[in-house]
This record gives sequence, C-alpha cells and structure tokens, in this order.
Amino acid sequence: MSRKSLKWLPALAVPALVAAGVVAIPLSAGAAVDLPDKTAKEVLLLVSDSTEDTFSGTVEKTAELGLPDIDAAGMAQSMGGPSSGLSAEDSSELVSAALELFSGTHDANVYVSGEKNVRVQVKDQLAERIAVSNGNDAWFYDSESNVATHVAIPADTSVHEKGDTHTGEMLTPPQLADRLLTELEPTTTITVGTDARVAGRTVYELVLTPKVSGTLAESVSIAVDSETGLPLQVTVSAAGQDEPALRIGFTSIDLSDPAADLFTYTPGDGVTVEEQPFPSMPPNGEHNPGTESGVTTLGTGWETIVALPAGSAPDGFADNPLLDQLTTAVDGGRLLSTSLLNVLLTDDGRVFAGSVTVDRLQAAANTE
Amino acid sequence: MSVPDTTVARRSSPGLDLLGSELSVLFSRRRTWAMLAAVALIPILLAVAVRLTASELDPGEGPPFLDRVTQNGLFVSFTATVVAIPLFLPLTIGVVAGDTIAGEAGLGTLRYLLVSPAGRLRLLLVKFAGAAAFCLAATLTLLVVGSLIGALLFPVGPVTLLSGETIGVAESVWRSLLVAAYVTVSLLGLCAIGLFISTLTSVPVGAMAATVLLSVVSQILGALPQLEWLHPWLFTQHWLGFAGLLSQPADLSEFGTNALMQLGYIAVFFALAYGRFATKDVLS
Repeated sequence: MSRKSLKWLPALAVPALVAAGVVAIPLSAGAAVDLPDKTAKEVLLLVSDSTEDTFSGTVEKTAELGLPDIDAAGMAQSMGGPSSGLSAEDSSELVSAALELFSGTHDANVYVSGEKNVRVQVKDQLAERIAVSNGNDAWFYDSESNVATHVAIPADTSVHEKGDTHTGEMLTPPQLADRLLTELEPTTTITVGTDARVAGRTVYELVLTPKVSGTLAESVSIAVDSETGLPLQVTVSAAGQDEPALRIGFTSIDLSDPAADLFTYTPGDGVTVEEQPFPSMPPNGEHNPGTESGVTTLGTGWETIVALPAGSAPDGFADNPLLDQLTTAVDGGRLLSTSLLNVLLTDDGRVFAGSVTVDRLQAAANTE
Repeated sequence: MSVPDTTVARRSSPGLDLLGSELSVLFSRRRTWAMLAAVALIPILLAVAVRLTASELDPGEGPPFLDRVTQNGLFVSFTATVVAIPLFLPLTIGVVAGDTIAGEAGLGTLRYLLVSPAGRLRLLLVKFAGAAAFCLAATLTLLVVGSLIGALLFPVGPVTLLSGETIGVAESVWRSLLVAAYVTVSLLGLCAIGLFISTLTSVPVGAMAATVLLSVVSQILGALPQLEWLHPWLFTQHWLGFAGLLSQPADLSEFGTNALMQLGYIAVFFALAYGRFATKDVLS
C-alpha cells in the first residue's frame, strides 16, 4: 500500500467506527434478556406487590394513529379571524389539542415521591407545560400563554378517597391479581411475552390479546420491571400496523428520591396566576360522568362503543373546517378514522366512538 | 547551556505557537470583527425595537421569549440567540470555516505554512480550533451584548424560567453560560464540515457558500415531517433544543445527546478532511 493511500485510512476508518457505534449501542441495550420464567399471575402479583412510589425519569410518548398530517396550530390560528365565533374558536382549539396529544412524539420529565407528590414537565421546542401537585396545591403552567393555574386541594380529599377505595374493598394483592384475571378471562388472553429491556432495566412483558375479532386493537403489552414491579412501558398495537399505535414508556428512570423542593411550586414574576376551584366529586367515589350528560355505552370489553346524544358536542363543532379535513363522509355521517379508534359523527349530531370497525358503529347508530 | 523552562516548553509545542498565531490572525482581521459586530447588532436592534414600541406583546407572539423582554432585560440575549441560530450564526461560521484551508490556498500562503515543521495534521487541528474559537466568540457576543443592552433598557431581576419558576440573577448567569456553551457545541459539527469542504477547493467563497448551503438544507430536511426517520441524524436537529437548560431543574440530557452527535460529525468530517488534505498536492 502506498504512503498516500495510507493517509486516507482514517477517512475510511473513522466513519466506519462512528457508524458501528451508532448501530452497536442501541443493539447492546436491546441485547437478549433472560429472566426467570414467571406466569402471568406472578407478573401481576409483582405489579400489585410493588412498593416503589418514588422515582424520577423521562417518559416518551409516541403515537402512530394514522391521522392525516395537517398543521393543526396553523389551522386554528387562521380560523381565529373576526368572523368566527368564540365557540368555533374554542372547538378548533379543542380539536388541535386532541390532535397534538394523539400524534407525534412527546417527552416529559416525571418526578414522583410518595402518593401525593407529582411533578410532570412536558417538553416542547423552547416551551414547556408543567403540572405540580403536592397533596395541598396543584399547579398547572404553560410557558406559551404564561398562565399558571392554581387549584387548592381540600385537606380531607386524599383521606376520603383512601377510605373509599381501600377500606370498602380491602383486597390483598394476590386477590386483586386473581380478580383481574377472572374478569379479563372471557374476553382476553393474558400471556407473558419475551423478556426485554426498557430504560436500561430488565422487564417482563405482559401481553393482553383480545379474544374477539371486531376490535381494532391487536394487543396491549405492559412492560413490568423485574425488580420493582413498576410498569415501565405500555404499548398498544393496532391490527394491520407494524409500528405500535400508541406507546408510553420511560426512556430513563432513576429510583432515588427526587429533591423535595421540586414539589412546591412558586410562580415567578410576570406570570398570570388564575385560581380554580377544586372539582367537586360525587360522594362515595362513584364517579360516573355518563349519567347526567347522557353518555351511554354499548357492548362490553374490547368492543365497547361510547355513544353521545345529539347536541352534546360544542356549538359549531360540526362545522369546523378542521373537522372536515380530518373526517371522511360515510353512510349516515362523517367518520374520523384512526388505526385504534373510529369516531362516527352522524348527520343528526350524535357521536359514536369505539375501537371497532366502521360497520359496527353504523349498525349501532342505526339501532339506537 | 542554561535554557529557561519557558523556551523548553514553547519549543516542545509548536502546535500552540501555531494556534496562537492563527488566533491572532483570525481576530485581527477586519472581516472577523465586522461579523461579530453584525452579530452584536441582533440583540441591539431587537431590544431597541421592543423598547420603542408601546404596544405590549401577547404571550407566545413573535419569537420565543420576546414578550418577556419588557419584564426582564436578561431575556434579550435568549431571544437574540434563538433568532440568530437558524441563519445568521451558520452564515458567519460558514465564512470562517470555509476560509480555513481554501483561504490560505487562494492567497498562496498555504505552502509557506507547510514549510514549517508543524505538519498537515497539526495545521488542520489548529484551523479547526480557530473556527471553534470563533463559534464561542460569536455566541458570547450575543450573550454579553444582549445582557448589556437588556440591562440598559429594561429592568433586570430574577428570571422566570420556562417552568414558570424563578431563579436569581447569579443562577441565571450560569444558565446563560450553559446556553452559550450549548450553542457553541451545536455549531462545531458545522465547523468540521466547513473545514472538510475547505480542503476540497482553493476558492474560499465556494467553500463558504457550500457550508452555509448545507446548514440550510439540513434545516429544511429537518422541517419535513415525511423525513422523520432522518431527523435524528441531522446536525441541525438539536440547534434549538436548549429549552431543557431554561427549565427547573436544569435538564442536561439534550446537551449530552447534542454533544455526542456533534462529536460524531467532527470525527467523520475531520477524518475526511485529513484524508483529503494529507494527500493533496499543495501547489499554491
């Protein structure tokens, strides 16, 4: 080899090394994991036995629901002209907020210490939304609007809730696991999938597969930390789609106690502070929003269809141009179709939604 | 023969000598100062414009942080940085990095540089260090001028972060330095690309234009949602990703990701530049 071509060696070797590193590092993180075998019940027990309630980490959400790619924010802005009424503006905000939640990738930093202390920071480009709660005060802040919302939590709430859920039906963890299994048994197959690694920790994978065929969901898998029993990732797969339709999971997690001052929130100068009353819950913890608003459910399990009566959508919602773009005309109304959820807006204003095929929604609309 | 320690040290590191002369040449050029002055104009124009307009901005209107400038002058430097990152900083970096080797070749001074025993690898290293020093100078100019003009025209006090919480002035200086470090690191990949392109030609303008063009192309690719699979590999992808540094608690994870990626770009393009430069017949 001549001297000259030797000098080109680094130019070949370094890119090759970098490429190898790029390929090898994710591979080594995903290297085969072999944990002692456990049955589905044992994994469920691992979850319910878990005492780990103190951690911090980064959570990533990716959604691949097959929604049409449109510029929701731009649309919402362009509709904010003088001609559009407040309600239309509100509803377009609603639609774009929902779109944002169900599309793309979002990162959030999560800090949890004990049952009460939670801090969630959703990161956007040069913006942030944050929610902090320490059992006495809850704060929500959006850096784009620069408004902080404060909710004072009544002192007796948590005790009250505890009394209801825990003393009312005192289930031991194994009982709880048993009950879950028997309740799910008729509709769902529960298996333990291949062991894997999530956020650098070894996990068991609990896979729930529907036994029925009419649903759009293919499976739901929950990654459970093999040491602490903490669920680290939930993945929902849709039928006929390789990429998961929805995935929420930790990309990194730290089990040490987060700093206590993270859970007290003090809005800075110039931040608009808005007070909001604590939402009043119906007594006995029987929170059922359906009864007063007329929401009904049809079917059970994976094939449940939620039906809203006419007039329950906000005014101007149906005329929203954004909605027009998202939906397609079908027999009897307009359809918003995603890989995991179909929503049928009938011509008479009713709404049917479910993780089922279109004809099932249409059938439900016709029989109702 | 008694030789003082200093001369021994100096003789053992001709690279440092070369670096010193490179830096002094770079920073004694009128062009360098003109570019730094232009960079400094960004925060000045921004602050004056905000000061002169009576109408208050709604939150979220205009470039990020612009609505906060009136409350706190320290935000001038952040807004100016965000405004300068997409085009202005790459433009100045492109001029400096594209000029490194091609400029010497164009002037006919490259062969004199190579007469000294420094060696081509060392010369490349020194040229890269010089371009990196300019990156730092440019971002620090934005920061310092922005803070000064902000303090002059607006009240200065505790800074409200992206999470709506407040930090003191001392902490905010530290955060500003972190942002400057982030932006400097972000631009190093582009420096390496410019260095490589500069070894390909003896027409400095061509190398400058190509470098700037690449940074724009990369940003356009980064804006296309259809190319999402490509986005993690674009060197411009993390350019505006310093929100974590302005959050409470400071989130350094993106700093790390960005630094690692820029390091990859530096390694690849520096190796390519070496391959090209070491085998090149230097005639001018």
